[in-house]
Amino acid sequence: MKKWIPIASGLLAGFIAATINFADFSAKTNTEAALSNKTDAEKVYVPFGQKDDYYLFASGGHSGQMFIYGVPSMRKIRTIPVFSQDSATGYGFDEHSKKLMGGYTWGDLHHPAFSETKGDYDGKWMFATDVGNSRAAVVDLETFTTKDIINVPNTAGPHCAAFVTENTEYMFLPTRFAVPVGQKYESLDNYSQNYRGVMSAVTFDEKNVKLNIAYQVALPPWSYDLSDAGKKGSADWAVMTTYNTEEATTTMEVNASQADRDYIVLFNWKELEKMVKDGKYEDVDGQKMIYPEKQKGGIYLVPVAKSPHGVDVTPDGKYFIASGKLAPSMTVFSFEKSFKAVENKDFAGERNGIPIINYKSVMEREVNPENALGPLHTQFDDKGMAYTTMFISSEIVKWDPKTGKTLDRVPVQYSPGHSVSAEGDTVSPDGKWLIALNKIAKDSYLSVGPSHPESMQLIDISGKMKVIQSAPVDPEPHYAQMIKADKIKTINVYPKDEKNKDAVYKQNDTKIVRKGNEVHVYGIAMRSRFIFDAKAKRPDVIEVNEGDHVFIHLTNIDFDEDITHGFAINSYDLNIEVQPGQTNTIEFTADKAGTFPLYCTNFCSALHQEMNGYFLVKPKN
Amino acid sequence: MNDSSRKNSKLSITSSLLIGLSAILIVVSLFFPWWKMVFYAPQYPEGLNIIVYPNKLEGEIDIINGLNHYIGMSNFGAENFPELSYLAYLVGGLAVITLVTAILRNRKVLYGLIGIIAIGCLAGILDLHFALQKYGTNLSPKAPIKIDPFVPPIIGQNTVANFVTHSLLGTGIYFVIAAFILLLIPLWKDRKK
Repeated sequence: MKKWIPIASGLLAGFIAATINFADFSAKTNTEAALSNKTDAEKVYVPFGQKDDYYLFASGGHSGQMFIYGVPSMRKIRTIPVFSQDSATGYGFDEHSKKLMGGYTWGDLHHPAFSETKGDYDGKWMFATDVGNSRAAVVDLETFTTKDIINVPNTAGPHCAAFVTENTEYMFLPTRFAVPVGQKYESLDNYSQNYRGVMSAVTFDEKNVKLNIAYQVALPPWSYDLSDAGKKGSADWAVMTTYNTEEATTTMEVNASQADRDYIVLFNWKELEKMVKDGKYEDVDGQKMIYPEKQKGGIYLVPVAKSPHGVDVTPDGKYFIASGKLAPSMTVFSFEKSFKAVENKDFAGERNGIPIINYKSVMEREVNPENALGPLHTQFDDKGMAYTTMFISSEIVKWDPKTGKTLDRVPVQYSPGHSVSAEGDTVSPDGKWLIALNKIAKDSYLSVGPSHPESMQLIDISGKMKVIQSAPVDPEPHYAQMIKADKIKTINVYPKDEKNKDAVYKQNDTKIVRKGNEVHVYGIAMRSRFIFDAKAKRPDVIEVNEGDHVFIHLTNIDFDEDITHGFAINSYDLNIEVQPGQTNTIEFTADKAGTFPLYCTNFCSALHQEMNGYFLVKPKN
Repeated sequence: MNDSSRKNSKLSITSSLLIGLSAILIVVSLFFPWWKMVFYAPQYPEGLNIIVYPNKLEGEIDIINGLNHYIGMSNFGAENFPELSYLAYLVGGLAVITLVTAILRNRKVLYGLIGIIAIGCLAGILDLHFALQKYGTNLSPKAPIKIDPFVPPIIGQNTVANFVTHSLLGTGIYFVIAAFILLLIPLWKDRKK
């Protein structure tokens, strides 16, 4: 035998033994095991240099804003003004955002919705609706700024929104309040005849960053509460809940809660799209309006226990789950059975010209966890398990939609509206975390008087549910969405836009141009000075005459991440922001004569305090 | 072979190939930075760069210039370095001469070439040194923040206010050094025995 064979085989055997004993074949399971060994404090601690795993986009309710948090640390990162003015960012003051605001000063931002590709968040855009002034908005996730806002006519409060279809073909905005078409004056005695609950199909032109209304549907004068788009096999369909099918016109608390059953509206948006294409609509003040009782098809009613709140589609797209609110149960409906019922015309009559599907034919199961009261909304985890908020019994209930079995429950403090799990309304939820968006936080934090902030409680759902962190939040997150952080690709600075006529990138190109009584300033902001006219004796002074119409175009030429400048004129009630590389315009009339210091409002450098000049307004004789 | 024939003999083919390779490395060096300075500060842990190519400046020059005005330093920019407009041609010319040397295989020409490169390198180092000296010592008296004049090293570390600068040779200059070594090898390889 050759000598090397025993030596080599001995070495080989040694290596194999060492590998089996010491090598790490299970990096993943090890970290998961490590995670479960962490204390609650360790699970939520994100040290400097590391970032959170998820972004949380929480609606700001009647603040008109959106709040960005990091998960699991629950640290607030940013406020994005959407429907309300925000002097901190100059939103609603500079020309672009002022125009977007359309003269309104506030909004009621309810339900955020990410743009989707194949039913999954793609991290590009965020949509939001305004129940206060009937608008819809889109936020660019490269800059976390609002890019477009559209007014939705014939609608009064698109609460039942926003939800986007699987590839962001449409965002549907059904209304909470019924109004006459055109919102014309009409006696409430004629409510059933002349009021309508209009739903709008909004499209998003990604290239031009514009929202448009494709068509509207004049649904019966009921209140439309919440909605969800189908997924996978049900992708062409959408569902929404209704209440006040009683068509009550006063003391709704009582009168809209009389009927034992309300409806889920089930509609096929592809069919509606085709109807519009085929001309099956009426022109109403420039809107393409489908009247379901005249232009038949595509819309059906599914009876459901009274006054349901949320309706949520399971990640596999096979079921939709209605939460009872006033009935202590969740009802699971089958899409497949619904499609069959539609095909076989398995109807139990009509309501307002819309076919009613037989409840028994499509209902999969009614789920009634013991003593769980006020089910509102359902989210899902990676295994398809459902998590429903119980507003009245103040808890989250985990249950299996396939069996109806209750799996776990955890109390929250107090009265959760929505909850949100990690990517929990997509085709592939991540599990891991669930956040309860609670309405009452009276004993959670240091007291701030009779009213308190809302609370967001972080629940670890990787094993038995446990509340491990709580963060106060301003009014008022109705819904939130949680997205994996690496899906969002922000920019560091605004790129130079040589086509922008208002932009100036070189100090020497700054100028002040007068056209009659219009004064156009093309200026720059840089650490730590303003230059409005490089050739002037004092480059940081703007001098105009009383009554002049002033346009100040300001470019931040610090192309350096986070070096943001502000621009305010003392006593002129205006303030704008220019982010690195950005050009912004402010337009106003110099209606006050006098001497007004102007200054940088966003602390920018060691000599920020010196970053100022004067706005001089010469009086009219 | 006797002494006299060796004395007049041409460089070997191997040496010629080495010199040819040297010419290629010189050309390649044009596409890489020759020198850079990285500025670190508490607010800039990622560092700001001035990256010098034979024909251009790259990096966060605008940001550095924006900050430099606080201490009264004049702006970095291609317009302040006329060298950048012709250095690439000089280097290209050098590559051509190197290539010609490879073809001629003449020992004396090689001595000349090595001499030119040595002088060129020295001139380059002095030029950079004087440029750095000018920037560091010729500070505007009206600067908002007064600091003592300074001369950053060509290689190494320096501290100015909240910034620590690191001066480093770039990939391109290593190609040039390699090219120079390739030129020295024939001297040893084809040495007189």
